[in-house]
Amino acid sequence: MKLDHSQPLEYSTKQNDLNIFGFWIFLGAEIMLFATLFTTYFVLENRTGNGPTGADIFEITPVLIETFVLLTSSFVIGLGIHAMRIGNKKAMIAFFSITVLLGLVFLGFEIDEFVTYIHDGASLQTSAFTAILLTTLGTHGAHVTFGLFWGTAIILQVKKRGLTPETTNKSFIFSLYWHFLDVVWIFIFSFIYLKGMM
Amino acid sequence: MKELFPAKQIMGFVFSLLLTVVALAVYFLGLSFGAGMAILLITAFVQALLQLVVFMHAGETKDKWSIYGSVYFMIFIALVTIFGTMLIFLWDM
Repeated sequence: MKLDHSQPLEYSTKQNDLNIFGFWIFLGAEIMLFATLFTTYFVLENRTGNGPTGADIFEITPVLIETFVLLTSSFVIGLGIHAMRIGNKKAMIAFFSITVLLGLVFLGFEIDEFVTYIHDGASLQTSAFTAILLTTLGTHGAHVTFGLFWGTAIILQVKKRGLTPETTNKSFIFSLYWHFLDVVWIFIFSFIYLKGMM
Repeated sequence: MKELFPAKQIMGFVFSLLLTVVALAVYFLGLSFGAGMAILLITAFVQALLQLVVFMHAGETKDKWSIYGSVYFMIFIALVTIFGTMLIFLWDM
C-alpha cells in the first residue's frame, strides 16, 4: 500500500481518497433527499385541515436546546478530527464520545417533542401538514439515530486498532456525515420552526 | 491542552452561534414576513457554507474542485426543485 505522507492519514492512500470523495457524492444524494422533503413541506405547510398549525404546536425552548446541542456536537467532532490529525488518540476518542453523547441528548429532546405533538393531537394522520412535518423531522432524527450507532462503532474500532489509514479514514467520513446532519438541522430550524413561529 | 483547540475551529463555532442568535431575531423582534425570510435565508446559507469550509475541510485536498463541483451542483438542483415546485404550487405561475 502506497502512503502519501504529504496528506493527513485519512487521505494517505488512493483508496482513502476515493472513499472520501465517494462519500461526498453520497452527501449530494442526501441533499436531494432532504430537498424533496422540504419541497413537499413548503407545499403542504398550510394544509392543516382541522389539525393544529405550526404556530400552535412549535415551542421555542426545546427547539433552541436541540439547535445548540447539535451545533456544539458538530464543533466537538471537528475538534476530534483535529486531535486525530495531530495523532492524539486519547483526545480524539474523548471528543468523539462527547459528540455521540450530545447526539443522544438531541435525540432525547426530539423524542420528547414528538410525544408532545402526539399529545397535542398532531399525529402522522392528522393533516397533510403534520404528516410532512413528522416525516421530515423523523427522517433527520433517523439519520441521527443511525449516526449514534455508527459513531459508537468508530470509537470502538479506534480504541482497538489505533489510528491507522483505515480507521482515520472511517472517522473522517463519519465526521462529514455528522456535520451534514447539523447543516440539515440548521435548515429545519430556520425554515420549519422559525418560519412557522414568525 | 492548547493544541487541541485550534483558533480556526473556535472562531467557526463562535460564528455559528452568532448566526443562530441573529436568526432568532425573526422570532423575538416580530419582523415582517419579507424581512424575516431574508434574514433566515442569509443566516442559514452562511451557516451551511461555514460548516462546509471550516468543519468539513472541503477545500483542503487535490480533489477539492470535484468535491465543490458535486456539492454545488446538488445544491443547485435542490434549489431548482424547491423553488420550481413553489412557483407552480404556491405562487400560481
